Amino acid sequence: MPDLPELNPVVHGRLRLALLSLLSAVEAAEFTWLRAKTEATDGNLGAQLLKLEEAGYVGVEKKFVLRKPQTLYRITEPGRQALTEYVHALKQLLGPAIDA
Amino acid sequence: MQDHTTEQELKDRLTLIETMIAEGRRNTESWGWTFVLWGVAYYLAFGWSAWGHGAWAWPVTILIAVIVTIVVASLKTGNHPETTWGRAIGSIWIALGISMFLLFLTLGLSGRLTDQHLFVAVISAILGMANGASALILRWKVQFACAVVWWVAAVTTCFGTDAQSMIVFLIAIFLCQIVFGIYGVIAEAQERKRRGPVHA
Repeated sequence: MPDLPELNPVVHGRLRLALLSLLSAVEAAEFTWLRAKTEATDGNLGAQLLKLEEAGYVGVEKKFVLRKPQTLYRITEPGRQALTEYVHALKQLLGPAIDA
Repeated sequence: MQDHTTEQELKDRLTLIETMIAEGRRNTESWGWTFVLWGVAYYLAFGWSAWGHGAWAWPVTILIAVIVTIVVASLKTGNHPETTWGRAIGSIWIALGISMFLLFLTLGLSGRLTDQHLFVAVISAILGMANGASALILRWKVQFACAVVWWVAAVTTCFGTDAQSMIVFLIAIFLCQIVFGIYGVIAEAQERKRRGPVHA
């Protein structure tokens, strides 16, 4: 019997997983859009995004648009790879139960 | 980790991934209000042109609807991120808007917008094309049904009387703009309610 895969703890956090999944579907997203989609608090969202950034899964770009600060987040290639591996691991762990 | 993680939790994570990816790609459902707006605009333009001023009724109504759409859309989607899907679908509808505006403005001003059957056939075929293309990109059966209604309207209007042509067009507007638009708005609201907040 093959060894069961480990789930990446950085990706496994519910809000971090939601953020990576959201970012995988768009080119880049503002902090405010991510907050609206996840309905998370500013503090929690900022903390989880920082963890993803420290892991190298998310890139951050800060700029000014019409003199207003704008923070853009985008998923990096290692982040996309981590999410893909996480999904594979989940499917392997669930096995036949995936359709139940 | 998996020792402490139940099967249900793992399934929840998989559902969360699917929901969030779908949320990022969400586009047409968020635009239900534009279908309603444009349905009302078509009815107003038809009513206005029936009273006379046929040359101006359509271009002016469409121009006002374009301005309202741009203003409301920029307020509503101010921080919505771009997606390839969004750009693909957006470009279809923007190109449709420009084509219809230029075509019917010049036809109206040149006095050649006299055949109602041809007018209804062209507008229905163009709307069928845009709805069909969006539906195929989004794999959305309800919108594809709207495209079929428009195509049927485009064909049937070529054979009926003036009154029948008008009735077919008004029915198509009601089904594919008003009813479909309201359905889109309700579907979006229900999805938002069902999803709920995501906690860490």
